[in-house]
Amino acid sequence: MAKFFNSLRDGVGFDLILVGAAMVFLLALAGLPLVYNVLMSFQQVDMFTLGQLIRPFAGISNYVAVVQQPEFWMVTRNTLVFVVGSMAGQFVLGFALAVFFAQKFPGAATIRGLFLVSWVMPGLVVGAIWSWILAGDFGVLNSILRGLGIIQSNIFWKSDPSFSIWAVIIANIWLGLAFNMLLLSVGLAAIPRDLYEAAELDGANAWQRFWTITLPMMRSTIGAVLSLGLIGTLQQFDLFPALTEGGPANTSNVAGYWSWQLSFQLYDFAKGATVSVMMFVLVLFASILYVRSTRHEVRG
Amino acid sequence: MKLTKLGLAAGIALGALMVAGPAMAQVTLKIWSIDGVDRVGIADTFSKEFDEQNEDIVVEYRGIAFDDLVNETLRAFATGNAPDIVSFDNPDFAMFSSRGAMLDITDRIAASEVIKAENYFEGPMNSVTWDGKYFGIPKYTDTIGVFYNKDLFAKAGITEPPKTWAQLTEYAEKLTDPANNVYGATFSARAGEEGTFQFLPIIQMSGGGYDNVNTDGAAEVLDLWKKMIDNGWASRDVLSLGQWDSTGTFNSGNAAMAISGPWEIDRMVEDAKFDWGVALLPTITEGGDRSSALGGFDWGIMSTTKHPDEAFRALEYFAAQDHRIFEEFGNIPARSDIELPVTGVALKDEALKVFQEQLQYAQPRGPHPEWQKISKAIFDAMQQALTGQMSAKDALDQAQATIKGITG
Amino acid sequence: MTRTYTPWALLAIALALAAVYLFPLYWMYVTSLKSGSEIFANPPSFWPAAPNANIYADVWARRTMSTFLWNSVIIASGVTAITVILGTGCAYVLARYRSAWIDLGLFAILMLQVLPASVMITPLFVGFNQIGLLNYPRTAVVLAAAAKAMPFFVVLVRATFMSVPRELEEAALVDGNSRVGAFFFIVLPLARNGILVCAILTFMSAFGEYIYSKSIIQSPLLQPASVGLSGFLGPNSSDWNAIMAYSAIYVTPILLVFVILQRRIVSGLTSGALK
Repeated sequence: MAKFFNSLRDGVGFDLILVGAAMVFLLALAGLPLVYNVLMSFQQVDMFTLGQLIRPFAGISNYVAVVQQPEFWMVTRNTLVFVVGSMAGQFVLGFALAVFFAQKFPGAATIRGLFLVSWVMPGLVVGAIWSWILAGDFGVLNSILRGLGIIQSNIFWKSDPSFSIWAVIIANIWLGLAFNMLLLSVGLAAIPRDLYEAAELDGANAWQRFWTITLPMMRSTIGAVLSLGLIGTLQQFDLFPALTEGGPANTSNVAGYWSWQLSFQLYDFAKGATVSVMMFVLVLFASILYVRSTRHEVRG
Repeated sequence: MKLTKLGLAAGIALGALMVAGPAMAQVTLKIWSIDGVDRVGIADTFSKEFDEQNEDIVVEYRGIAFDDLVNETLRAFATGNAPDIVSFDNPDFAMFSSRGAMLDITDRIAASEVIKAENYFEGPMNSVTWDGKYFGIPKYTDTIGVFYNKDLFAKAGITEPPKTWAQLTEYAEKLTDPANNVYGATFSARAGEEGTFQFLPIIQMSGGGYDNVNTDGAAEVLDLWKKMIDNGWASRDVLSLGQWDSTGTFNSGNAAMAISGPWEIDRMVEDAKFDWGVALLPTITEGGDRSSALGGFDWGIMSTTKHPDEAFRALEYFAAQDHRIFEEFGNIPARSDIELPVTGVALKDEALKVFQEQLQYAQPRGPHPEWQKISKAIFDAMQQALTGQMSAKDALDQAQATIKGITG
Repeated sequence: MTRTYTPWALLAIALALAAVYLFPLYWMYVTSLKSGSEIFANPPSFWPAAPNANIYADVWARRTMSTFLWNSVIIASGVTAITVILGTGCAYVLARYRSAWIDLGLFAILMLQVLPASVMITPLFVGFNQIGLLNYPRTAVVLAAAAKAMPFFVVLVRATFMSVPRELEEAALVDGNSRVGAFFFIVLPLARNGILVCAILTFMSAFGEYIYSKSIIQSPLLQPASVGLSGFLGPNSSDWNAIMAYSAIYVTPILLVFVILQRRIVSGLTSGALK
């Protein structure tokens, strides 16, 4: 017994308690709901059995039904466009800004700080603001683009099928930019200065230094940013109801929002759960990438 | 003599009971509806009055946004936290009544002095009926017509409101004035119940119904709508605007015609700085069949209530106030026995007359327990055709196949 | 020549970039100050013709924002407290070891936050109902939102602990400290900055929590500001100046705190805990 308490104070037991408390909490409040969703995707569910665990078994019929929905392929395509578009935009712009603000000039740190405000903005508020900026007839973006001579007639960002998904992507890039830039800045700051100095002595130009030093040294940071970005993007919900509601005709609908629509607008909880399980499998893949990337971390 | 004594005794006993009333345990009624979320409405006002007038009953009123009402109620019902009284949009009612979630009040209505089934219009009453039994009462009713800007009509040299959809399209072209930011027409083709609400009447006037959507007439009108959007006679935003927003552009003078309903009247009287009128929804051919949407909410008592008597008393109180709802909230009672008073506001009284005529053609959505899925098939088809993803006919055929799978 | 001008040129570019980036915020404030008809002017004016700040007082009173904001503060505080208490220790252990088990732990933590809150809400609602937690709706929201915030916190704070030199902890152990003592008196103080910053960020994110509150909290008296906003953001929103005024009141406090603390936040995150 004494040994047991000793270990709590002085050995692995201490670690286990610290990790265990968090894990139990997460398992109860995130793990169980996950299991519940997986379970529902194999069952017949209606409003009366929502509160139960034992329900008629449905086999894979929910999965078949989801794939057979006329909008399935469009939602899949949109999800890919949304994820790739948002992540590419957030990452490239975030990286560019991080590198830019790593330069030495007056006010660099202060101005970089301003770029973090979108992180603390509630998604719903961001959705409301962009909904108003992107409005077709009275939106300020159209008016600016017209003024610059880039477009002749208004673009109906939210209701033109060829732009609607981009309306959400634009808002999402703005929302996620701060997080990307910050994490990438952290990674940049961790690269030892003398590496660059040595490379400069060897005659490497800025571009070469970026490819041979910055990128390789940032590998783990980039992995973390991308996989967290993927999770964040797939989780994005607040922007959709505020901007397009997935429309018109599902042209801006993505898996996360579709799953919510199936559950809470059509009251088909089993299909909603099925879509969410499909998403889960996708993110499983992303998490593997993330964990692999942490292998290269060096302890400072 | 003996009888009188008995009567007296009964009277005293009753009196004692009434005095004892407040001291007895109070009954709490939970009432949910969409009213009071963004403006004062029927349910929040009357719930408060009922609460104040009844010492023995406490009303806990909760306003829930339109989009959340059904699924909040669903979840609450599934977990045993359902309200006692709830007010649903009429097409949503059948999902609950068909599954035994609503209390059968047929006998109570038969015994009631206040609520009489025969006083209600047939369409709204159908929406609370399932399997020949009554599960609620209509709260109010509404429908849609065409609002038109008389000043802009005069400027364009048009004297009469459109009679057919082809005419409406033709007028929309004439009325469009990009230099002044004026669209010819606006309506709501949103991906949601509002979109179905506006489009289903066209299916119905072409001889179809919610279970028979791929009619030639519907495809024809859908093509006209698409033409209006593609040519800029209607804003492309009709695909995402709700009716309240869409009509807002009419009120600000940015659209010359708007399809919407009587709930717009009060705001329009305030906001519109021009002369306007209302016309019946156009038909497909001149003098052809008329139809319109049947809107409005219903009251119902949930089957899990522990206080059915008090809940029914609340419904009786609400029904007894029906004569007030047009004047105070601009809603039309779903009853034939109430003569609507003249408000003195000329535009409002004119508009009401048209809507009352339009109501005679209004047809309900459903009732069907899986209405939401049928509705989605309809608005999806509408949006697919309007965005050019499919031809109108193909989109409606696809919707028909989906609906057939639901209705069996 | 170039050496003297380059920094100023960079500053000019930085300011231009910031202007573009901050435009949405600017537009929020400008719109809130415009009159009803000016909002729909075409082309839009970039400065309100007759700024009307009364709308703030009006929206504040009409939307009972004091109640909403107070609830947001309570919920965000609760989420932050739970996240910091449970997350810090977890991050510390995950940073301390390097093994397949740790990989698995990290992996599990990330996987557990995969599903969007919009999908998690039904099971959580059912579960909270079973244990009677729905009678304490704000507590329920705090628990649910903390589970959502924790993985993020753990990943960030873990990076902070990674930058604490292990030798310092080992030296403390050699000096006779227990593991508990070394953790509380050596490692934690060294990582304090990073933890504090992550806590602030957690607080700010939780301040905008929406889906759980919307579904779990029924009484308007207990709802946070996000739910209050959604009440008039619905499909029938044309009241843009009021919506923007509400948004402005909602985010200005966190933006102010953020601007005041931003140097600290940025340095806390960029240079690790020690440097």
